[in-house]
Amino acid sequence: MSIEILDPGALTLVQDAHGRPGWRHVGVPVGGAADAWSARLANRLVGNDDDAALLEMTLHGATLRFDAPALVALTGGLDARLGGFPVRRGVSVRVHAGATLSVGGGDGLRGYLAVAGGIDVPEVLGSRGTDLRTGFGGHEGRALRAGDRLTVGAADVVGRRRWRAAREAGPIRILPGPHADAVPVAALEDAEWVVGSEADRTGVRLDGSRMTVGVREVPSMGLPLGAIQVPGDGRPIVMLADRPVTGGYAVPAVVIGADVGRVAQLRPGDGLTFGSVSLQEALEADRRAAEELAAIELLGEPDDDELSWVGSLD
Amino acid sequence: MAQSVARTLGQLPPISGVVPGRASVLVEFDPATSTEGEVRSLLERALVRRSEGEVAGRQRTIPVVYGGERGPDLEEVAGHLGMTADEVVAHHATVELEVLFCGFASGFAYLGDLPAELRVPRLATPRTRTPSGSVAIADGMTGIYPADLPGGWPVIGWTPIRLFDADRVPPTYLLPGDRVRFRAVSGADAAGFAGRPEDW
Repeated sequence: MSIEILDPGALTLVQDAHGRPGWRHVGVPVGGAADAWSARLANRLVGNDDDAALLEMTLHGATLRFDAPALVALTGGLDARLGGFPVRRGVSVRVHAGATLSVGGGDGLRGYLAVAGGIDVPEVLGSRGTDLRTGFGGHEGRALRAGDRLTVGAADVVGRRRWRAAREAGPIRILPGPHADAVPVAALEDAEWVVGSEADRTGVRLDGSRMTVGVREVPSMGLPLGAIQVPGDGRPIVMLADRPVTGGYAVPAVVIGADVGRVAQLRPGDGLTFGSVSLQEALEADRRAAEELAAIELLGEPDDDELSWVGSLD
Repeated sequence: MAQSVARTLGQLPPISGVVPGRASVLVEFDPATSTEGEVRSLLERALVRRSEGEVAGRQRTIPVVYGGERGPDLEEVAGHLGMTADEVVAHHATVELEVLFCGFASGFAYLGDLPAELRVPRLATPRTRTPSGSVAIADGMTGIYPADLPGGWPVIGWTPIRLFDADRVPPTYLLPGDRVRFRAVSGADAAGFAGRPEDW
């Protein structure tokens, strides 16, 4: 079966949850889903492996059509309608052949749509994700365009599933980074930050305050996921999936793994605060995020949910 | 040094990621399964072993067409350094550089260190597009753009060879630790080097 892109909206990409972390020593960014946790959840809801390729849709406008029946799940920060009916996030739904899914509304920046069987694109350097900067991986190494057709892999027939947990809220949790002495972390915690207009898959630049930077540039160093870089202008940048593998600005703090996906869901203009945690608390948050990911219940066997189909029969 | 440390560390099981930097190595591990102390002692032992058997980087030669349309900043660089364009080329094509680390984009290698007489600042206004193959200098280093990318480094030349190919393993012609020299070639000769080098 295949999916046709009728409109890619602001930005729609083929991604997977893990990206390609093994080639950073030659400059290849990790990439992968910006909110990898939501990508994993979407895959689990349709019975895929966590790392199956899926669609990452941004903000609004994406519209797609299924040419055959499929089991799909939407997660992350966007809402969608299927043949006119609202699609609940965190629940897998069956779609009819010819059904159209259109994305609009929601409270976050990115939505993840998994299809049972996964998007069938070749693995490049260990990932099916799209590297936009250099142009490889994903679908022809680029963002999706109207008219693109994506093949979906073969899938076992599985029952519908529902996620029944809530995602962590509250301040974005941070650990001290390598330059915590040169740029005191307290300055991050004391301010009310606002997501600036420069918020993409590389990173999220923050407004609302300024940090005093004791060190303007540092020898380029490897950037872990969630590194908070502070350039000379004092506006912190939280580095996300497409961050360059090395960077030359001070890193006073790093967002913990469990919260990076939450940062990736912030829209320009959204507010956020930071709160320091201990390594033990960060590990505990990781455990809790893994538990929340597993909080999935089966809604019935494949044959007894005939009424669950959504979409048009045209 | 960073890159040979990285090479050694990449072999150690609890370590999930190693990224060489200019004067550091980022080492990633899962703190749920290993403690910082365990990884630290592993690193210390690995560093001792490394100094016993240093692996030498490979020798690489990169053909470069200096100046002209594809090296638009050569004259300005020469002016800044108080040299003629030919003198800049002669200097640049003589030094042996090392791949210190990678970053910015897939296959972008930072080659250094350039001698003091070849040190220039970045462009006042970065370009939105620096063409693939552009050979540029700044920050005491040379960089070669492996794809069309935005860039703030003055471009002094262009190489016809392909430096990044996602369909190959490894995907880059230059690896951290490699020793690199540049060879000035004419525009007419450049076509002979087009594509992927034979010693990839």
